Amino acid sequence: MSVTDHGHEHTGYFEGGGGYHDTPQEKHRKEHVAVWLFIFGDAVFFMLELFFWFYLRANNTAGMWRGADCTAQSPQSIAGGGPTATNICTDGLGNPITHEIATAAPLHTLAIAALIIIAAAFVWFAEVQARQGGTRKGVTPLLGLGVVFVVAAIVWQIVQFQILPFTTIQGAYASTFEFYMGSNIAHFLLALTVGFGLFNRSRIGKYEDGRWFQVHLSRIFFVWVAFSSAVLALVTVLFA
Amino acid sequence: MTMTAPLAEDTKLGPKAGGLYRHQNFATGLIVGILSAVIGWVISHALLQSSNWGSDMVVTVTLVSWVVGFNIGIGSFNAIFRWSLGHDEDHEDQLYGAGVGQGWKRYFKFCTDHKVVGTQYLVLVMVLFGVGGTLAMMIRTQLLTPNSQFMSPETYNSIVSIHGMIMIIATIIMVSGPFANFIMPIMIGAKDMAFPRLNALSFWLVVSAVPPILGSFLLGGVPAGWTTYAPLAVQAPPAMDAFAITICTFVLSVTVAGINTLVTVLTMRTKGMTPGRLPIFVWGSIIAGGLGLYAMPAFLMAQSAMITDRVVGTSFYVAMQGGTGWLYENTFWIMGHPEVYVILIPPVGALIEIASTFSRKPVFAYKVMVSGVIGIATLAIMVWAHHMFTTGWAPTLADPFMLTTELISIPTGIVFLCMVGTIWRGSIWTRLPMYFLYLFLFNFIVGGITGIYLSDVPVDQYFHGNMFVTAHFHYTLLGGGMIGAAGAVSYWYPKMTGRMLNERIGKTAFWIIAAGIQITYLGQFWEGFQGMPRRVANYAQIFQHANDMSSVGAYILMTGWIVFLYAIISSWRHGVKAPANPWHAKSLEWQTSSPPPLENFLVDPVVTSDPYGYGEDDLAPQRQPQPVSAEAGSTTGGAH
Repeated sequence: MSVTDHGHEHTGYFEGGGGYHDTPQEKHRKEHVAVWLFIFGDAVFFMLELFFWFYLRANNTAGMWRGADCTAQSPQSIAGGGPTATNICTDGLGNPITHEIATAAPLHTLAIAALIIIAAAFVWFAEVQARQGGTRKGVTPLLGLGVVFVVAAIVWQIVQFQILPFTTIQGAYASTFEFYMGSNIAHFLLALTVGFGLFNRSRIGKYEDGRWFQVHLSRIFFVWVAFSSAVLALVTVLFA
Repeated sequence: MTMTAPLAEDTKLGPKAGGLYRHQNFATGLIVGILSAVIGWVISHALLQSSNWGSDMVVTVTLVSWVVGFNIGIGSFNAIFRWSLGHDEDHEDQLYGAGVGQGWKRYFKFCTDHKVVGTQYLVLVMVLFGVGGTLAMMIRTQLLTPNSQFMSPETYNSIVSIHGMIMIIATIIMVSGPFANFIMPIMIGAKDMAFPRLNALSFWLVVSAVPPILGSFLLGGVPAGWTTYAPLAVQAPPAMDAFAITICTFVLSVTVAGINTLVTVLTMRTKGMTPGRLPIFVWGSIIAGGLGLYAMPAFLMAQSAMITDRVVGTSFYVAMQGGTGWLYENTFWIMGHPEVYVILIPPVGALIEIASTFSRKPVFAYKVMVSGVIGIATLAIMVWAHHMFTTGWAPTLADPFMLTTELISIPTGIVFLCMVGTIWRGSIWTRLPMYFLYLFLFNFIVGGITGIYLSDVPVDQYFHGNMFVTAHFHYTLLGGGMIGAAGAVSYWYPKMTGRMLNERIGKTAFWIIAAGIQITYLGQFWEGFQGMPRRVANYAQIFQHANDMSSVGAYILMTGWIVFLYAIISSWRHGVKAPANPWHAKSLEWQTSSPPPLENFLVDPVVTSDPYGYGEDDLAPQRQPQPVSAEAGSTTGGAH
């Protein structure tokens, strides 16, 4: 490899004014790529969550997606008439399942998705404000509202945990639904961390002077979180 | 041309530089980690009101607390807290974070310099290989005689599981850890990785992942094999929780590292470093990074669901409650087969660098070779079910998966032929790295060809459950991957340590290793042809000769690795000082000092030709590359 040392001034990482490395523009470029790569990895996990749902639902192993077959058919027909067939339809503690479990109330599921969509919308508005040279007073309240809605989504998700008409051990539907809720909360907590940081930094003027790129990147992440939450909500409501 | 004085390691910083980092190191990580684990244990124990100190819930909470606590203690999360509070680091904080003025202590801290992280990874990999290798020796000792009482079958099963997973972890990071961190940024003319703090985070996450899996021996062991198939793993002792937590933590590390590698290459190439001029090792690193980004979430999903099945009673994998073991197997192998190429592609990239440098020839069919590696990565995500031919899952899909598996031999063959084409009729300089290249070529043929047998459904029905498979993947991952890593160590050792690796000891180690591999794994092929099942602690008398051969070979192999380790350690302390470019190579990492200064180059390099421009007048290794003016070649496409 031929190299030249002509005319390319050495600009040390540790000499720039834009943080650890480089200028804000260069940081923006790197972090922009990184956010999309992170979303790619997260999307693979998300797709596998959907795969789990539909695979288990389609298989309905031992009639235990929601325990439906335990009432619709005789236990013997479910298990192929084997001698242990009567033990098939049991929950995780060995108690017999005698009925199809109820699904989670769609109102809660959809409301949680709506809250996080609203949170993402506020972050989006904040980005628009920041891009247009909005002041600290213009951007910060929007980010603050975004954080408030994320907190509301977390609280509602926890409430939904408390009032579900089933427990984790009652079959594959219950398991997968609660896994989705856990996944939602993990996403929301991440969004809360990012959102709180944005809000705080905006409050002390870190995003003035055209340094709005972190708001932009966060908006991408928030939209992804809102999108994935909405898809999970629709899947659980439409394909229970 | 303006030059900037390099930042010396003994630069004096202010007394407050680094902030909290000044007080954090490996010891504080251990202390906070252990305290967190104890607190987690007490709280979970109290909340559950359980008399069983080792229930799944208690073990899980305790070990997660350890991982989080250790990383808090060492400083992994300082940056995100500071960012949230708006307290950005200043210039001196950054210098402190990069290890300036800390000497050897920076290797025990949350250091952001990519060269420190690369060195940390190298040492960690050697430690993991030491642990995994010791377990392998215990396995082979057990198998010396048909009804050995060296250990109980339960202990044997656990050792097989832990050996397998530790080796998988070690091989995933054996090249992408040390060399993609230390060497790759220099190869593209960057001053560091794109996200230095994430780089350090990825390393310390792996460190925090190790104690849980080692501790699993104290928690009843993991009797389910390294693949930990459900529902066997769901019923395993609490050690399985530790195993799964190790994997989840490791997945986070690999994901962070993969993103960092990709962003570094995509955005930080120096001027003139166009995609067509990227060294093959860089291509290998980003392709492996991207493949890991696809594969590792599947591992996280598989093990997360495993943990919830065990801890909170979900039923993903328990058929009686609506789950299915096939779900685990699919998810595991959706990760598992791409992961093989995450392991293999970086060492192959390193060996191609070696082939070109020591043959004094350009890489043969550069674009074809890069296409071949991309082809391997693409097909790697379409072959997972060949691991499940014998499980009974979806028999109608066996043929398509057999086809895709056999197809992958085409790009693999292309890469192999390009490697041979590179050294073909070259002016070969036979130094230690070339020895490893030759050994790789031999071993990889054996491992690759036997892989084609296993892709064939009828043949797989016979071989899948026996030692033939064990021999096949050891030829591939050890004979191919680890030998490639050993080649990479011997090639880049002068750059990393500033000293030459002792070739006499290195070649002695090489011959012992080469012999050990053949004796060990040809012995296992023999066992497989005889029909000996794998994963058994005791076996029939007819298999003894083959097992004795394999065990003796394993002792020889271990001896070889110990000698190689001795060469590494002794040369690090007493080796001859290395010049900047001992191999007279043309890629960018050799155009700076050994070891490179902080930020790597005194002057930002501008690349004007490809890294393999060994012309016909350049057959003699004595010739040094000469800088040429920027006007002499293209300087387009750089990131800066």
